[in-house]
Amino acid sequence: MIPDMILFILLAIVAVTSALGMLLSRSAVYSALNLVLNFGTVAVLYLLLGAPFIALAQITVYAGAIMVLFLFVIMLLGVEQLRKGSALPWQQTLAIISGLLLLALTAYVIFIRPMTLPQVSPTQLGFGTPGAIGEILFNKYLLPFEVTSVLLLVAMIGAIVLTGKREPKTKT
Amino acid sequence: MILNASMFLPILPEILLVALGAVVLILDLVLPKKQHRNIGWVTAAGMGVILLLSIPARPETEPSLVWGGMLRHDWLGFSFTMLFIFGAGITALFAMDFKKLGHRGEFYLLMIVSTIGMALMVSAADLVMLYLAIETTAIPLYILAGFFIRDDKSTEAGFKYFLFGAMTSAIMLYGFSLLFGFAGTTNIYQIAQSVREGGLPAGALIGSMLLVLVGFSFKIAGVPFHFWSPDVYEGSPTPVAGFLSTASKAAGFVVLLRFMMVVFPDITLQWGAVITAMSVATMTLGNLLALTQKNIKRMLAYSSIAHAGYALIGVAVISQVGVSSMVYYLIVYLVTNLAAFGIVASCGRITGSDEMTAYYGMSRRSPWLALALLVALLSLAGMPPLGGFVAKFFVFAAAVDANMIWLAVIGVLNAIIGMYYYLTVLKYVYLYRSEDEEKPLLVTRPQKLAITVLTVGIILIGTVLVPWFNWATTAAASVF
Repeated sequence: MIPDMILFILLAIVAVTSALGMLLSRSAVYSALNLVLNFGTVAVLYLLLGAPFIALAQITVYAGAIMVLFLFVIMLLGVEQLRKGSALPWQQTLAIISGLLLLALTAYVIFIRPMTLPQVSPTQLGFGTPGAIGEILFNKYLLPFEVTSVLLLVAMIGAIVLTGKREPKTKT
Repeated sequence: MILNASMFLPILPEILLVALGAVVLILDLVLPKKQHRNIGWVTAAGMGVILLLSIPARPETEPSLVWGGMLRHDWLGFSFTMLFIFGAGITALFAMDFKKLGHRGEFYLLMIVSTIGMALMVSAADLVMLYLAIETTAIPLYILAGFFIRDDKSTEAGFKYFLFGAMTSAIMLYGFSLLFGFAGTTNIYQIAQSVREGGLPAGALIGSMLLVLVGFSFKIAGVPFHFWSPDVYEGSPTPVAGFLSTASKAAGFVVLLRFMMVVFPDITLQWGAVITAMSVATMTLGNLLALTQKNIKRMLAYSSIAHAGYALIGVAVISQVGVSSMVYYLIVYLVTNLAAFGIVASCGRITGSDEMTAYYGMSRRSPWLALALLVALLSLAGMPPLGGFVAKFFVFAAAVDANMIWLAVIGVLNAIIGMYYYLTVLKYVYLYRSEDEEKPLLVTRPQKLAITVLTVGIILIGTVLVPWFNWATTAAASVF
């Protein structure tokens, strides 16, 4: 129990620090790299909770694919350095107020009115493993799984329709 | 779950639609550019064949849950699947002669996939399946609305539709997650059971009902979630607007009906009141705003908002008579509004304008097209002996039957307002003169075919009542 706790506290510190670093950094590339670190730490937290599939999905999809996409966009748009002062002046005040509200609400729920959740049955051995997920995906959720493939295909074709070949412009 | 042949029977229409989509994709690749228009014929004929081949897939009288509880195989879902396939075929015929629309294979594919989504929507019995089906319907429609990427209005329509859709989807998902969280299952029939056993606090139940209702009201363009529809209908390609305003809206209605009836039978008082209020607001606002429109597509958009209001009466009264009147209303509405938008599409293709001024003296330019428009608009206005009259009659009768005479009175008053703007268009068509009278409006063969089928349909539904009414009653009975 104790080593788990130590590991959790260390990871939590890294996760929160990297999240703050992502928010406060002026350089878009630093922000993106901090986000990668954050995704990685959260993935380890998932592993600790006994959800290996979600942990690996987090690494491959978020830390891998999506972050590469982010970095490419930053590189192609050339917005490495953010300009001073945000476009919406009231945004910062609003963010601080809603952040404090959320904090107060969380504190209220945790300390003053601890909600009693219904007893959750302990997870069985093998719950959330890739094997178990595959089993359920290809049995109970076979039809939604297949429909998803159609949906992804059509999303791809739609992207091509909306961005792809245009009628040639008249040359000037 | 071990697969066997009989499991595929309930989803036969969907499987055939996927196959048709594959055929369209391949044809788009192999056919020379000049013959791409023919993909429209293939799609329309394919839809006809699918309608015939789906007959063995019709459900038994006793509904059953299939595919691990994902779908419910019943007459309500099956009937509307058939209607959507019919609507998609007709839309393909209307779109064929638009060079930038019907000459591109992608258009037909997107429409077919959207039809698959609708077919799954109306029979979904599981939150996961339902959400996936709603997105499978919507995502191709967003793209179709913005299909003319060189046209600012079309792009705006696509984007606006997408933003509204994404926002309301998110709110609906909150509702879904609350229901799942409290009931511990995603199957709507099991959720219903857990509600009956008192597993859900009343506040959570009403809250999730309201959240879910937001998503569904967007689909049916009910007030106050109707803002997108006039802009989207005006901007998107006219055949697409026709498809959007009929098939997509009908699918939304069926989902709304099934969800409310199955999941929330304990709080009928609350959702009945919400839907009644929405119905009154929707028909009144739609009709009043339609009065001043100068663009015929915007006018039809507001009129279709008003029609959603009439159809909502069938849901609001919460009775079997109400449900069958709503099903009947949707059948009529689908056929009639497809015809109206189809005629506007055929006209707009020649005149290049959707303004009312383009319709001056249309009866001299193309008497048959004008006659078809007369039939479609009078049916929308609710004149006997056309389908629209019978549909309105049944809906108002359901309201009276449920002791909500005031609701029927509001409906009748609205129908009278509606009459005014439909007749104004007919006045332009038949009485006004224009300078272009010598130029005939050429209607192409596929459009002629589609308009003929729909016009005959409108008259048939209005005169030969019994088979349609029995059909609607069978479909309605399977909800309960």
